Amino acid sequence: MHDLTQEALANELGVTRQTILAIEKGKYDPSLELAFKIARYFGVSINEVFIYGETP
Amino acid sequence: MKQNTFYILAGIVGLIEVGAFWLSVQYLTPLLISVVFIAGIVLLYGAWRMITDRQVDERASLINQKAGMATFMVFWVIFFATSLGSAVIGLGAPPLPHFPRPRVQGPGVTNNTIRPLGNGPVLPNESRALPGDGPGMPDAAFLVPDDGLVRLGHFGYLQLALLFLMFFLYVGFRLYYARKYGEWETDEEQN
Repeated sequence: MHDLTQEALANELGVTRQTILAIEKGKYDPSLELAFKIARYFGVSINEVFIYGETP
Repeated sequence: MKQNTFYILAGIVGLIEVGAFWLSVQYLTPLLISVVFIAGIVLLYGAWRMITDRQVDERASLINQKAGMATFMVFWVIFFATSLGSAVIGLGAPPLPHFPRPRVQGPGVTNNTIRPLGNGPVLPNESRALPGDGPGMPDAAFLVPDDGLVRLGHFGYLQLALLFLMFFLYVGFRLYYARKYGEWETDEEQN
């Protein structure tokens, strides 16, 4: 949709590509600041990107 | 400074530390390795701040923090237990032995006092032989510390083991948390 690579998104947000990948795979929960940055980058609200769920 | 330059510098500092450690052991000067070690760490901290292409984001910081905290939580228990054991030995052991110089008569020794054997003229009743060389003199084995002091020296090996334990604990926890937070995850975008 955005024709965006993980590398490009990572550079935009000031994190490593591995962090973007870890978020995508559910291995890492981003900080509130990073979550807001991601939401703002895509122009959506934060709860459209992340859903709160109890971790097992 | 590039990150790879920092790693090269760290390797050089590591080699210098090993050399300083060896020299400290050879010349029995513990202060040398202590000073060189602190200087090396200060140098590396300074160099670390000068890295321009460093990539440390919040996930990497979290991994470092978790690994450091886990290492600390395990290590302090082991260190405390070891230190308590050492305290028991220190408080329960008799005072350290001292080794008075043997009061002997012989070449180079007058009136129970060892005279320096310099390069000056040899007096008629004097020779260049060292105390202990002559007949009836105590041999070198007399001056070897007893078992208590030797065992005290072994405490250094224990401390060395603790240092290695701390290092391996950190590496182990670092690998564990890196894996947990997706350090080596791959996907279709992986080159």
